[in-house]
Amino acid sequence: MIKITDLEKFYRTEEVETIALNKLSIEVKKGEFVAIMGPSGCGKSTLLNILGMLDDPDSGSYVFNGVEVAHFTERKRADLRKHNIGFVFQSFNLIDELTVFENVELPLIYTGVPSAERVKRVEEVLDKMQIMHRRNHYPQQLSGGQQQRVAISRAVVNKPKLILADEPTGNLDSSNGNEVMELLTDLNEQGTTIIMVTHSEHDARYSHRIIRLLDGQTVVENIMI
Amino acid sequence: MLKNYLKITWRNLRRHKAFSLINISGLAIGMASSALILLWIQNEVSYDQFHAKKDRLYSVYNRSVFDGKLWCWNTTPKVMAKTLKQDYPQIEEVARTSNNNFLFTINDKHLNVPGYFTDPGFLTMFSFPLVSGNKNTALNNIKDIVITQKLAKKLFGNDNAMGKTIKIDSNAYFTVSAVMQDLPNNTQFKFEYLMPWSYLKKIGGDDTGWGNNSIQTWALLKPGVTEAEANKSIVNITRSHSEIKDIDVFVHPSGKWRLYSKFDQKGKISGGRIETIRIFSMIAAFILIIACINFMNLSTARSEKRAREVGIRKVVGALRGSLISQFLGESIFIALIAGLIAIVIVQLSLSGFNRLTDKQLYIPYSSPWFWFTALSFILFTGLISGSYPALYLSSFRPVSVLKGTFKAVNALITPRKLLVVVQFTFAVVLIVCTIIIRQQLQYAQDRETGYKKDNLVYVMMTGNVEKQYALIKNDLLASGAAAAVSKTSAPITQGWSDSWDFIWDGKDMSKKIDFNMFNTDGDLVKTMGLKLIAGRDIDVKTYPTDSVAMILNETAVKTMGFKNPVGQIIKRPNDATHFTNWHVIGVVKDFILQSPYEPVKAMIIQGPKSWFNVIHFKLNGAHTTAENLKLAEKVFKKYNPDYPFEYNFIDQDYAKKFGDEQRIGTLASLFAGLTIIISCLGLFGLAAYMAQNRIKEIGVRKVLGASVAGVTTLLSKDFLKLVMIAFAIAMPIAWWAMYKWLQGYSYRISISIWVFVLAALITIIISLITVSFQAIKAALANPVKSLRSE
Repeated sequence: MIKITDLEKFYRTEEVETIALNKLSIEVKKGEFVAIMGPSGCGKSTLLNILGMLDDPDSGSYVFNGVEVAHFTERKRADLRKHNIGFVFQSFNLIDELTVFENVELPLIYTGVPSAERVKRVEEVLDKMQIMHRRNHYPQQLSGGQQQRVAISRAVVNKPKLILADEPTGNLDSSNGNEVMELLTDLNEQGTTIIMVTHSEHDARYSHRIIRLLDGQTVVENIMI
Repeated sequence: MLKNYLKITWRNLRRHKAFSLINISGLAIGMASSALILLWIQNEVSYDQFHAKKDRLYSVYNRSVFDGKLWCWNTTPKVMAKTLKQDYPQIEEVARTSNNNFLFTINDKHLNVPGYFTDPGFLTMFSFPLVSGNKNTALNNIKDIVITQKLAKKLFGNDNAMGKTIKIDSNAYFTVSAVMQDLPNNTQFKFEYLMPWSYLKKIGGDDTGWGNNSIQTWALLKPGVTEAEANKSIVNITRSHSEIKDIDVFVHPSGKWRLYSKFDQKGKISGGRIETIRIFSMIAAFILIIACINFMNLSTARSEKRAREVGIRKVVGALRGSLISQFLGESIFIALIAGLIAIVIVQLSLSGFNRLTDKQLYIPYSSPWFWFTALSFILFTGLISGSYPALYLSSFRPVSVLKGTFKAVNALITPRKLLVVVQFTFAVVLIVCTIIIRQQLQYAQDRETGYKKDNLVYVMMTGNVEKQYALIKNDLLASGAAAAVSKTSAPITQGWSDSWDFIWDGKDMSKKIDFNMFNTDGDLVKTMGLKLIAGRDIDVKTYPTDSVAMILNETAVKTMGFKNPVGQIIKRPNDATHFTNWHVIGVVKDFILQSPYEPVKAMIIQGPKSWFNVIHFKLNGAHTTAENLKLAEKVFKKYNPDYPFEYNFIDQDYAKKFGDEQRIGTLASLFAGLTIIISCLGLFGLAAYMAQNRIKEIGVRKVLGASVAGVTTLLSKDFLKLVMIAFAIAMPIAWWAMYKWLQGYSYRISISIWVFVLAALITIIISLITVSFQAIKAALANPVKSLRSE
C-alpha cells in the first residue's frame, strides 16, 4: 500500500541544516498495523506528516496505492488525503466551537457527502465508538478519553484505507489509553491499515511490526508475534 | 458547508464576546458614519437632477473683466430672456426668476412668504409637478398665483385651495391657479409660490435696460443643441443689443449648478461645493477603512486561536480556497450584523445630523435601490475587512499548527503594525484638520467688523413703512425705543448691490472698477457705530445738499487715489446723457459688509437720493431689549397696521456668515472623534491579545523582579512607537491639506507648529490610556498562574 524509497527531508534555518529523514525506505502492506518508535527528534513525526501528505519530501519516492505522490500539488494531495487517510493526534485536535457530531461530520462535508447520508454515517460511527450520548456536547465538556474517541470517530467516518496516529494515547491515562488502542486494533482487524507513532512500548505491542528510527534512518524492525 | 460556516461564525462570536463587541461596534460605527456622509453626498449630487429636461436646462451667466480680474455671475438683465427666445433659434424656452417677499392675508391670517416672479415657461421647463391646475396656463393671467401644498395648508388648512383668493400686501388680490407639490429637498430653488412676471411689470418692476443685472435667467435649449453651440451663438448678445461692449454671455448646465459654481481666470469651471464633497468622500472612505483595519487587526491577532481550526480543516480535506471563502463569509456575516446596527445608528442620529448639516436627509426604506446599495456596501465592507485575514489565516500549514509549534510572526514590519500606522495616520490627519478649521473659524469670528453689532436691529420696509418713514423714525426716537435710526438699501450684514459706473477726477477710463454699494438717508455712522476718519455723517436736515452726498470707505479712497477725499465730486450716470454729481462728505474706516474671510472691498455709501429697503435702529441702552422692542412694535403697528412687526438682530445675522465653516468644523470634529473612538477600540482589542500572547514572558519577567511599571512600559512602548510613526507620516499630509484649504480664504491664519504638538499630545494620551489599561492588567496578573499554564 505504501512504499517509500530513499526519502529525504531537511529543515533549514539561516545557519543550520538539520536532516530529519535520511534516505529512508519503508514499505507498509495493506491491512498492516505498524508502530514507529524512536527518541525525540528522530524523524517520526516528519515521516508521519509526509505519509499523511501534510508535508512533502525534499527527495525520494513515495508511492501510495501504486501512485507516485511525492511531488503532487497541494490540491491533489488534499484530494487524495480526504478520501484515503484518517488522522488521530496526541492532542485530539477537535474544533472547540463544533459539537461532537459536527466535528465528526466535518470530513464528510469536505468530501461532498449529502446531508442525510452524513447524519447516518456519523451516527453509525458515534454508536460504534459508544459516544452517541455525547453527540451534542462540545469537546471541552468531555474527558480526554472521550475526546480521543471523537477524534478517532472523525478519522474513520470517511472509511479511510489508512489511519495515521501520532501518539494517540500520549495525553491519556492508562485505562483510557488502553481503550483507544483496543479501538485501533478493532479498526485494523476490520481491514484498515494503521501507522502509529508512539513512545510507548506498551502501545507498540498492539502493532504487527515496530520500525525503530534514529537520526532519520531505520535502525531495526521488529516483527510482533 | 455554508451551514457549518455560519454555525462556527456564530459560536465564535458568542464565545469571544469582548472581541465580537469591539469588532462589531467598530464596524457599525464606521459604517454608520460613512453611510451618513454618503447620504449627504447623495443629496448634494442629486441637486436639480430630477428635472425631466435636465440635459437641456441651463442658467444664463455673464462674464467680464473688472480691474484686471475675470468675473462670472448669474444675475442678468431682465430683457435677456425675451431677447434669447426671440432672436436665437437654439433656445426653445426661457424663464426669469426674481425673488420677492410679500405679505399674504387670508381673513385675519397674515404670513410673510418668500416666492418668485417668473415667466409661464418656468412650469414647463422644470419638473415641479402640480397637484391641481394646468402647467401650460397656470401663470398666464396677471392675477394668477401658483402655491405649494405647504403654503396651501398654511393658508387654507385642509380646504381645496384651487380658485381661492389671496390678498397680497394690502392692495392686490390673486387667484390660486395651481397647487404644486412641495419642493424636494434637493433643489436650489426656494419658493412657496410663483407669481406671473406680468404683475411685476404692472407694479413697475420690469425694465428693458442691459445694465441692470438683478434677476436670474433660465434657458431650455432645443433638442440636439450642444452647450458649445449655444455659447457660440449667444456670447455677443449684450454687445449686439446695447452700448455695453465688454460683457460675454454663456450658459451653465443644470448638472453643474450645485457643485461647480466657481470659474477660473480663463472662464472655465474650477470648482465649488464639489471640493467639500471630495473632502467628505475621503473622510467617509477613511472612516470605513479604519473600521475595516480594526477587523483585520483583531482577526489576525486572534490567528493563534484560529490556527488549529485551519490545520484540522486542512487535514480533513479543506483546500485553501474553501478556507478563504469560509473566512470571507465570516467577515461578510459580521459586516451584515454591523450593517444592520449601522442602519439603526443612522436612523437614530439622522435628526441631529440633519440639524448639523441643515438638510432633510432620510433613509429611503421603500426604495429597492437603497437596499441594493446597502447590501453592496455591506458586502464591500465584509470583503475588504475579511480579505487580509482570510488570506493570512488560510495560509497556515497544518503540520506546524497541529504540532503546536506555530507562532505568529513578530517581525520588524508586520502587516498588522502597518495597519495600525495607517489607522492612526488617518486619525492624526483628522485631528490636525479639526484644530485648524476651528482656529480659522475663531480667527474670522474675532475679526473686527468695523461696526457695533450689539443692540442693532433691522426691519424690512413693507406696506406703508416707506411712506410713513419720517414719522416712524421720529416716533422710534421719541418713544425711547431707539437711540438712532437709519434707512438703508440693505441690511449691514449683506451687500445687495454693486456698481462700476462711477466717474471721478483722475479715473483710468480704460479700467472697469467695481464698488460695493450701500445707501442711507443719514445717521448711518451714529446708528451702526462706524468709525469716521474724515469729514462727517450724512445729515440732510442740517445740510440740504446732503441728498446727493456720499461717504467712502478707506479702500474706496485708496482705489480712487484721493489724497483729500472730502469735497471730491463723483459722477454717476442716470441714463445715457444725464449724470448726477455726488459729493464726498466723509470717509469711514473699512467695515465688513460681505464675507468675513475676504478683504473689505471698495465701497460707496450714497445719500438720500437713492433707493431703500431696510430700516436699522440702535436700541436704547437705557431700556431692556424687550422694552425697546415692545415700544418699537407699537410704532410700527401704528403706521403699518396690516403687517406683522418682524425684526432681525444684526449680531445673529452676522453669526450666520460662519454657518458653512461652523458646519464643516463641527462635522470634522465629530468624524475625528469617531475615528479616534474606532481606532482606540481596535487598539484596545489588539493590546489585549498582545498582552495575552506575552503572558508567559510577563510572568518570567515578574518572577525575575520586573516591576508593574516596567512591564506596563514594555507593553505600551511598542504601540506608542507605532503611533509616533503614524504621527510623522500624518504631519506633512495634514499640513498640505490644510494649507490648500486655507488658500480658499484671503483672511486666514498661518498654520502653527503648536497645532501639531497639540494633536500629538491628544493622540499619545488617548492611545496610552487605551493600551495601558490592558498593559497594567497584564502586569498586575499573578505570574504563578501564567507560568503554570505552561
